Amino acid sequence: MRTVRLTVNGKPVAHEVADNRLLIEFLREDLKLTGTKESCGVGVCGACTVLLDGKPVSSCLALAVHADGGALTTIEGVAEGSRLHRLQEAFLAHGGLQCGICTPGQILAAKALLDTNPHPTKAEIQHWMMGNLCRCTGYYKIIESIAAAAGVE
Amino acid sequence: MAVAKLSGKAVGQPIKRVDGIAKVTGRARYAGDFDVPGMLFGRCLRSPYPSARIVSIDVRKAKALPGVHAVLTGADVPDVRYGRMCKDIPTLAKDMVRFVGDKVAAVAADSVEIAETALELIEVEYEEQNAILSAEEAMRPTAARIHPEAVEVFPGAALGVHGELRMYPPIPNVISQLVAKHGDPAGAFAGAHKVFEHSFAVPSVHQGYIEPHTCLVSIGNDGLVDVWVANKGPHIARAHMAATIGVPENRIRLNPVTIGGDFGGKGSLMDTLLCYYLAAAARHPVKMVMTSFEELTAANPRHSASITLRTALDRDAKIAAIDARIIFNAGAYAGFVPVATLHGYSELAGSYRVPNLTVEVLRVYTNTVPCGHMRSPGSPQVAFAVESHIDMMARELGLDPVEMRRRNAIADGDPTPFGDHRPHLRCRETIDAGARAFGWDAPRVADIGRGISIYEHPPGTFGKSTVKLTAGADGRFTIQLGSPDTGTGFHTIATQLVAEHFGVPVAEVEVVQGDTLTSGFEAGASGMRLTTTIGQAIADVSDKMKQQLAALAAERLNCAPADVRLGEDGSFSASGTRIDLRSLMGWAAERGKAPLSCNGENKPGQPNNLASFAAHFAEVAVDRETGQVRVRRIVTAHDVGTIINPVTHQGQIEGGLIQAFGQAMSEQVVLKNGAAITAHLGDYKLPTIMDIPELETVLLPGGSGLGPFETTAIGEMSNVAVPAAIANAVFDAVGVRLVELPISAEKVLEGLSGKTGAT
Repeated sequence: MRTVRLTVNGKPVAHEVADNRLLIEFLREDLKLTGTKESCGVGVCGACTVLLDGKPVSSCLALAVHADGGALTTIEGVAEGSRLHRLQEAFLAHGGLQCGICTPGQILAAKALLDTNPHPTKAEIQHWMMGNLCRCTGYYKIIESIAAAAGVE
Repeated sequence: MAVAKLSGKAVGQPIKRVDGIAKVTGRARYAGDFDVPGMLFGRCLRSPYPSARIVSIDVRKAKALPGVHAVLTGADVPDVRYGRMCKDIPTLAKDMVRFVGDKVAAVAADSVEIAETALELIEVEYEEQNAILSAEEAMRPTAARIHPEAVEVFPGAALGVHGELRMYPPIPNVISQLVAKHGDPAGAFAGAHKVFEHSFAVPSVHQGYIEPHTCLVSIGNDGLVDVWVANKGPHIARAHMAATIGVPENRIRLNPVTIGGDFGGKGSLMDTLLCYYLAAAARHPVKMVMTSFEELTAANPRHSASITLRTALDRDAKIAAIDARIIFNAGAYAGFVPVATLHGYSELAGSYRVPNLTVEVLRVYTNTVPCGHMRSPGSPQVAFAVESHIDMMARELGLDPVEMRRRNAIADGDPTPFGDHRPHLRCRETIDAGARAFGWDAPRVADIGRGISIYEHPPGTFGKSTVKLTAGADGRFTIQLGSPDTGTGFHTIATQLVAEHFGVPVAEVEVVQGDTLTSGFEAGASGMRLTTTIGQAIADVSDKMKQQLAALAAERLNCAPADVRLGEDGSFSASGTRIDLRSLMGWAAERGKAPLSCNGENKPGQPNNLASFAAHFAEVAVDRETGQVRVRRIVTAHDVGTIINPVTHQGQIEGGLIQAFGQAMSEQVVLKNGAAITAHLGDYKLPTIMDIPELETVLLPGGSGLGPFETTAIGEMSNVAVPAAIANAVFDAVGVRLVELPISAEKVLEGLSGKTGAT
């Protein structure tokens, strides 16, 4: 057991965790932030994507202790109060989601992209988002949503 | 009161999903996001053998492990089998295991880790038996019976089935045998100009929902059983649960949850019964979440199939008769589907004029993973065979594949292959619209191939849909539905339909999903039914509500109810006086007459005499050195009714199409010695955002619908026939004919190397 100190969605958190506690367990079970979803458990599907210091991380593979001293962003921290992030607005307007189970991971991965590359090409969007599976949309509307949020065609 | 006419103010608008904000902010709650005080975690031990006798199970060490609250084996649970039609699934195996992954024992513990450690301490002695791994082997006269005991079947197995259905006929391991005949096929074959016969194989694929099967069961001190489960049809699930565990239906509450993808795979109880018995034994609530490994090896994927088609053609290449034999491998249990056989056979050549037909459909047990329903059950298998077969005949005759289809396309006045009559058939129009957009007649380029496939599917009208509509004291409407939106957007279109009926803004309509104690019966998402059935129920409830509102308005306006008119803006008027809904309901509330509620129902069992068509066109590039196929472009054309929400409608087309693309190109549940070895999402290849081809959708508006405002289904129109279009394009490019999915580079290369003889 050790104490991890970090910020989660901008708020300081100190919590005692087992050394082998997965980041996703820490988020979902200890902090009750259930917006982060687990599916494949082996880092393939991207459903559990969160941002650690702005970079996408598969929280089903990372340990909670890896986040010590870092800044975590989960889907609960993307909107500012009731004001949705432009990616969230775009996913709603363009049908970038259906069942919604992959959506937190999609939006966080896309946020990491736009934070570093505000005007990506369609090819750059596809390449960046390759690690986030979606079974509902066929991806076309996810590309549309991200492009719309970035203000690119 | 005026009959509702389509104003298009609500229906036809790209309204944002009603569940959208919750889903983009992480607030939507899926079954796994619920927990209750004292909750334990359940895990189960599964068979490593495809067929074995259980000699003994020793659970003493597992029970002694600290943190373990209950350990169950087949001996600890009632010997009542569950199934949606055929009741053959034990909660835990008794005496026999029938596939790699069959559940043998289960543990409830303080944590998943403790439960998994306990599983390792359970000692099971098996006596391995010969496993039957293929349907053909299973039907041999000498084959051992995978289910030697009689299986109880729900009444009504033959409802809606074409032809003669026999359940558990005297062929070893056959669950159902369906034989359908129309016309005089023998005579047609005898007089045929040419006869062609081809055989096809379609392997099993997984539904691929990203949310695993999850359930949480909590038994209250008052005996009320509370359930949170990823199930698309809570009312049916509750009925089956009640019948199996012996608790009255009204003592079981399935609570509303968001569903993380279904695609037909979440209609069964899966682990819910086991979870209930664990909760009862442990006297604590228990949650069970299937791992991705369990999902991919031991859930309920699509049936694999082998299909042989024989077709008689006349001198004009017109179909004189088809003789089809379809064998579905059901795996170890039949009970994961709510039907006797898969409905895919009923769309056999539905796009064509087929005057004479025989079909035999067999559904067969094997010692492999039990199969369930997946988006248009049985149809992709049959469509791959039919649409490849049509193409092969065209090629042999030197006919253009589009021309072959146009020539045989069903049209108004033609009976369907099963002898039914349907109006307003737009098969040829759909083909032509797609071909034009695709540029079928454009000049050809070397090693670039073009392929077509077509498909017909009627909307579903079966099963009961019940809705409750409330007009609140504030003049806003609330529509209560009894099943989850699995992602299709049906909760959203329900609000649009209500708004359209009353002429109010969609924002004035809220949707709530009731639990199974408070909501009316809803059969749930299945067979492209909800748009039609919910639409009918909403039309019914809207009529009733309008009558109640008219009575109120008449009282308010001092006139007869018959004199009240509902305006296009949702207001009521009589002889020049107008009152808006909010004022009317406010007035009613002051007199204790608000809110108003009423219930509406669909018309189940209504003759289903409509059909929609789809035509898909694929363009592929084939690398002759590697066999690699790249799908460059797809054009998908759809014969559609009134579109309620263009965004969700298009989402259904695109999502379904890429599922079909996955089945065509990369997906397969690979079995080795009966075990599914594509056991994680690294091995089981779902399409990624990098794989998708360029896509153009062509819509032919103006089709008929059985829903109000001429609305009809779209959900299963794009995910069925696409693989054949791609396979046909591969043949067009390099002359390699694939009769088995998926279209791997390996198979194409094999075909290229032996190409001289390829047909």
